Amino acid sequence: MSGAPAVRRPYYRRMGRWWQRDPFFRRYMWREATALAVLAYALVLTLGIVCLALGEAAWQVWLAALRSPASLALHAALLAAMVLHTKTWFEIMPKTMPMIFVGERRLAATTITRCGWAAAAIATLALLALAAGWRP
Amino acid sequence: MPEPARAAARSITLEVLRYRPEIEAAPVWQSYVVPFSEDLSVLQALQHVKDELDGSLSFRWSCRMAICGSCGMMIDGRPRLACQTFLRELLPGPVRLEALAHWPIQRDLVIDASGFIAGLERIKPYLIPRQPRPLAAGEYRQSPHELELFEPYSACINCLLCYAACPQFGLDPGFTGPGLLALLHRYNADSRDGGRAQRMAAVNAEHGVWSCTAVGYCSEVCPKAVDPAHAVNQNKVNSAIDYLRHLLAPRGAPP
Amino acid sequence: MAAEAIERYTADVIILGAGGAGLRAALAIAMRQPAARIALISKVYPMRSHTVAAEGGAAGVTQSHDSLDAHFHDTVSGGDWLCEQDVVAYFVEHAHEELVQLEHWGCPWSRTGDGRAAVRAFGGMAIERTWFAADRTGFHMLHTLFQTSIRYPSIQRFDEHFCVDLVIDDGRVQGVLAVEIASGEFRLIAAKALIIATGGAGRVFRDNTNGGIVTGDGMALAYRHGVPLRDMEFVQYHPTCMPGTGLLFTEACRGEGGFLLNSEGYRYLQDYGLGPASAEPRNKAMELGPRDRLSQAFWHESRKGRTLHGPHGEYVHLDLRHLGERKLRERLPQIRELALTYLGIDPARAPVPVLPAVHYTMGGILADGRTAAPLAGLYSAGECSSVGIHGANRLGSNSLTELLVFGKVAGEQALAFAQGVGHGAPARLGALAEASRAAALEPLQRTGSGERLATLRNELTRTMQEGCGIYRSAPSLEATCARLAQLRQAWHGAQLDDRSRSWNTEWLALLELGFQLDVAQAMAHAALARRESRGAHQRLDAGCTERDDALFLKHSLAYHDPAGGPPRIEWSPVTITRSAPGTRVYGAAAERAGVTLHA
Repeated sequence: MSGAPAVRRPYYRRMGRWWQRDPFFRRYMWREATALAVLAYALVLTLGIVCLALGEAAWQVWLAALRSPASLALHAALLAAMVLHTKTWFEIMPKTMPMIFVGERRLAATTITRCGWAAAAIATLALLALAAGWRP
Repeated sequence: MPEPARAAARSITLEVLRYRPEIEAAPVWQSYVVPFSEDLSVLQALQHVKDELDGSLSFRWSCRMAICGSCGMMIDGRPRLACQTFLRELLPGPVRLEALAHWPIQRDLVIDASGFIAGLERIKPYLIPRQPRPLAAGEYRQSPHELELFEPYSACINCLLCYAACPQFGLDPGFTGPGLLALLHRYNADSRDGGRAQRMAAVNAEHGVWSCTAVGYCSEVCPKAVDPAHAVNQNKVNSAIDYLRHLLAPRGAPP
Repeated sequence: MAAEAIERYTADVIILGAGGAGLRAALAIAMRQPAARIALISKVYPMRSHTVAAEGGAAGVTQSHDSLDAHFHDTVSGGDWLCEQDVVAYFVEHAHEELVQLEHWGCPWSRTGDGRAAVRAFGGMAIERTWFAADRTGFHMLHTLFQTSIRYPSIQRFDEHFCVDLVIDDGRVQGVLAVEIASGEFRLIAAKALIIATGGAGRVFRDNTNGGIVTGDGMALAYRHGVPLRDMEFVQYHPTCMPGTGLLFTEACRGEGGFLLNSEGYRYLQDYGLGPASAEPRNKAMELGPRDRLSQAFWHESRKGRTLHGPHGEYVHLDLRHLGERKLRERLPQIRELALTYLGIDPARAPVPVLPAVHYTMGGILADGRTAAPLAGLYSAGECSSVGIHGANRLGSNSLTELLVFGKVAGEQALAFAQGVGHGAPARLGALAEASRAAALEPLQRTGSGERLATLRNELTRTMQEGCGIYRSAPSLEATCARLAQLRQAWHGAQLDDRSRSWNTEWLALLELGFQLDVAQAMAHAALARRESRGAHQRLDAGCTERDDALFLKHSLAYHDPAGGPPRIEWSPVTITRSAPGTRVYGAAAERAGVTLHA
């Protein structure tokens, strides 16, 4: 064909601020943003290990910094983000797995998600218990 | 909404994004007032406009029963089939109608879907048997369980709602996208098929599964519960395994 | 208007329509002769074709206790002996292998526990022989065929191209003129043979199950060029459709055990020679009787005042409650979804309102047993074609198989014809195409004050419904014929709001309305001429209420009048090989007959 005729003039819409277009997209962006919280906390912990390696004084400075109000606020925010991250991570998990069958019935996605949440909750409680001094 | 308000709704306004390439340089909104009834679908409302108010409004439609896949459009910002969306769900209005997002608009509510058709030809959406099977051998044996492994992905009606729900496709129109990747998986998951190796190139490609960021909205809007996000993300695992296999045993890898 | 050049393409065979029959024909040619060039033209993307909406299944003798003979007799008696029996014999012989072929192409047929294709019961079939893919059989068949066709590069598709005319020169079909819908530009596709596979014409009736595209285009195109339309008076009503929209609840609802109840909650079919009423579904009895009988029973119930009344008129109840939610989800998922979405009714909890609506045109383009029309190079397959297997009433699940069996035949026959002739003279084809283009563009240039398109279309569907419906009579048909003649006049003055070329669906709908008027005239005039009652054609006027084999064991042939007058109706004999016309019996009477037959 020799060039598109004038009446074939498809209009392309722009994608600017697409994440504001739909509540689903906004939730998606929050979900993805929680990965930054994971990264941030990994940095906090890495910093702790570096301080530990530098010796007693550095370690004490790090511990003191953790107790500051700013740090507590940061931790509260990171904890909230982490909870959201865990929730959404397990919501997506069934999408990444092949179909699972128990007997003849296909395992529902919601069941997989709930199992994930339950595992996360148990692991968290166990960790808290260990930190509180409980020993199996 | 409260019952009195509902009973009072005798008409409802449609705001339609119009674009006529021979008239408008860019799309414009136009309003129409249509009579309301409880069982009126958005498609029927558009047909009322075309029949009684403005014959120049263009949209695709055919079966009216959510199986031909023609009448996908953005309805109040969400990709839906006009034939199975009812005005009663959208009260009090106005109802905003726009061509499916992320696709070029050919005219009014009609998108240019040629990119999808071209993609269809790339993913080999047909059975590639392991060896030829004569008709006299009768049908393949396929247990109901084996059928279940691919049947959900075979229910895709190519309505393209999932593409309008996929920002990755909006940002990069080269992305193979949820519908086609689900269809590709449908054949890979069929016990009768032996063409998986031939299709993995399309899975692994830059525009294959790795362009997906697991937004997951595609599966939310799918009118046939195909769950394309599941099909795509399962194949990330398959693609990774494929990659490792090539890395570890390049000569043993499939062609 | 300055005439732009018409873009030209060349192929060996053109296939008009990319539904089940057109795609099957394309595959037959591509597999038989990879060098043959195929132009596959469709006004919609192939997967939108109306085959997609077929729900129930496709018939083919499968079980060891079934026989080709049984399928033959069900089909011929179901068609009230107006079938071409040699063609039916060919059809039943090749049905099963075509279903297997589709399975080899990947169609997800529902399975039995041991992995074989499952079969279900269907109306008018004595033994279960209907293959199905849940209740989305047509959808799966169409997508399987379309996706398989992508494998063959010799199939050049012209998607979303609207055919405005056939190009006929030197006594044979030489091509078609089509509009690319997106641009409004004309394209002349020249070829040596043409297969028309454009489907039915149910949209000429108000209450119908058909998609908006089912406007009889191919029938009218052939008809205008002198090819007769055969048996057009036989229009099938499907007994279980949704009030208001006409959407279909598959016959499989009844195959799975659904009941039809009147306003008194009574299974009224037992009053119409279909009983006795048993709790379990029995083949060829009660709700599993043939579609014409069930639709006629509705009409009688209405006369007796035993129907229910809703905003969209009278209806009866389709009761599926006793099947239970699990079975409904498993076997009838689409039906459950339709009832829930469109009516807000859960069929596991409440009966579903239904009424008869037009579903299928038994007649069509005259074709011999090998799909050839009496015009050199022209073939037809599928609902647009009258190859002769449906007679006066089609059995459910025969038409999906017909697409396959005769789609393949049409492909092979058209290919053989194309291999034996050359292309026509380009200059002559160009001149013919110019004239056709001018005619097609004429509505865009009209001035004046004619009727709106929708006004004419609504009037067409109303007069067909009222005068040419489940029951007809000479006065009702004469009124409809007169109205159609007026509408034909009015069509020439109809005004369009839209004068543009890109995606001008108003213009194309007006051209479709022209096709619909032609087809409607053929239907109404053939119905008027057939002064008897047979199968789906039932008359109420004195002397016409019974079948009359002495005068009317014949096919009607409607010929177009180029001068714009009413069609001319002629008659042709029916091929009868081994089943002499008898009485159609269903219910207990059929079972007694079956015992005698097998004794």
